[in-house]
Amino acid sequence: MSILKTDNLTYKYSVGTPFEVTALKDINLEIEKGELVAVIGHTGSGKSTLIQHFNGLLKPTEGKIFVDGQDIWESKKTLKEARFKVGLCFQYPEYQLFEETVFADIAFGPKNMGLDEEDIESRVLSAASFTGVTEEMLEKSPFDLSGGEKRRVAIAGVMAMEPEILILDEPTSGLDPKGRDAILKMIRDYRDTTGSTVMIVSHSMEDVAKIATRVLVMNHAEIMSFDTVEETYRHADSLISVGLDVPQITKVFLELKRRGIPVKSNIYTVDQAVSEIDRLRKEGVSLC
Amino acid sequence: MLKDITIGQFFPGNSVIHRMDPRMKLILTIVYIVIIFLCKNFWSLGLVVLALIIVVALSKIPVKVILKSIKPIAIIITFTAVLNMFYVRTGDPLLDWKFIHITTGGVITAVFMIIRICALVVASSLLTYTTSPTLITDGIEQLFSKFKFMRNGVHTIAMMMTIALRFIPTLIEEFEKITNAQKARGADLETGNLVQRAKALIPVLVPLFITSFRRAYELAFAMECRCYHGAEGRTRMKLMKYTKLDAFGFAFIALATGGVVALNIFFQHVI
Ligand SMILES: Nc1ncnc2c1ncn2[C@@H]1O[C@H](COP(=O)(O)OP(=O)(O)O)[C@@H](O)[C@H]1O
Ligand SMILES: [Mg+2]
Repeated sequence: MSILKTDNLTYKYSVGTPFEVTALKDINLEIEKGELVAVIGHTGSGKSTLIQHFNGLLKPTEGKIFVDGQDIWESKKTLKEARFKVGLCFQYPEYQLFEETVFADIAFGPKNMGLDEEDIESRVLSAASFTGVTEEMLEKSPFDLSGGEKRRVAIAGVMAMEPEILILDEPTSGLDPKGRDAILKMIRDYRDTTGSTVMIVSHSMEDVAKIATRVLVMNHAEIMSFDTVEETYRHADSLISVGLDVPQITKVFLELKRRGIPVKSNIYTVDQAVSEIDRLRKEGVSLC
Repeated sequence: MLKDITIGQFFPGNSVIHRMDPRMKLILTIVYIVIIFLCKNFWSLGLVVLALIIVVALSKIPVKVILKSIKPIAIIITFTAVLNMFYVRTGDPLLDWKFIHITTGGVITAVFMIIRICALVVASSLLTYTTSPTLITDGIEQLFSKFKFMRNGVHTIAMMMTIALRFIPTLIEEFEKITNAQKARGADLETGNLVQRAKALIPVLVPLFITSFRRAYELAFAMECRCYHGAEGRTRMKLMKYTKLDAFGFAFIALATGGVVALNIFFQHVI
């Protein structure tokens, strides 16, 4: 059974006012346990709106959402369960820190779950170690940390709730390449160790291609495709046409193909490119 | 939701009323409010109400929205009407029972008051429905800057107002974002007694304050970087211009004023 499923999910903001917008149109998707799904799409395509449905922060205008086979809007109890089963980390989560110490801030979620002191402490420590939050940092005020450190603390705050599904909205936005890679590696480690289901929202394919099992491409409130990374890149030109960025190397190969050279179009790493060129050489195809 | 409370309740549109100059609208609204209180009998009051209905129709604002503006003050209206009914003792007695004495004069005054207050509220809401908050502040600034000695003070206040208005939606959005983020961490903001709920707001208010201060600093820097230094020598990119529409509006209200004065003279005063 899929861990997360939506059934004809439609969502409109500001219904009944002149500002009504359809942010999601008839979304049907199923996600299996243990997957690492990347959600990509241009700004305003509905990514953030979609993920806020999974833990019941937004109520569908139409349609249903099932977590673990349970309709989350069935009752107050199922809604509360969904809040804890699905951990949602918002974009720029560093702006949600408020406690006096980093430790207390990470403990906020587990505390709200009603756990006892011992449990809380062990969860905080393990979340801190996943995110590279050092012991020394735990005693500091969150407002004395650097931007990247704050971001990690905020992510730890959600991880400490040990949700079955961890969803992160653009966890790498506004970070330098080094910080970005660190966060992505951290998320991959978290999934490998805990075996939980993870969803990462991003507007850049390059970021998530390396770690995702499947890619959900959103375009204008609708699902454009939901497939493996390989398959998604096979349609790299349509990704570009909806305003998404693809790796430089993919662009080079798209251009080669356009010029009539019989290359595969789903090339997205330099290694793949090298072996593809080798293959062409062997077959005696000229590249110029 | 919180966002549905729109400050100033601007209702975007392109009607003739929307397109009028904000300065003219401000002046005419004030004049209109004055003439509401000049009315001395139902004839002149009727004329004032008729004028209002015409303007509402021209503005193309849905009647439902207009009625909504009266709702919040329904209590005040009722209160005023009841008080007037009991305390005005002129005219013929209608009811004499124990300590309650109602007279025709009381009833007439009560009805008069209801109509006056409704007209007053609808007229001023119409101004905010058809003029964006920024335009209203700009209009006020322009009107007052005719007086040289006030120019600097008015400019500063108008700039503060404009910035405040500009950031209200941003802050509301920020508030909702942070609320959602804390809810996602299991914060319970909806249940519990007053003290518990007030405490539950801390995780939302602390980040909100910090964000607001950060924004204020950033904005101040950005303004200084663009050499902002108050009203001195500052000109506008978009100049407000009176058009034919404003002339019509002016004539319309002038006619209504004349009509009210005439009707007051021709017919007997009831209030
Ligand atoms: N709180 C909101 N109120 C009204 N409209 C919104 C709100 N949040 C998002 N939208 C609109 O919904 C659409 C989808 O937005 P969003 O889900 O934030 O996209 P993304 O995360 O992919 O950038 C956009 O058109 C956006 O303007
Ligand atoms: Mg988003």
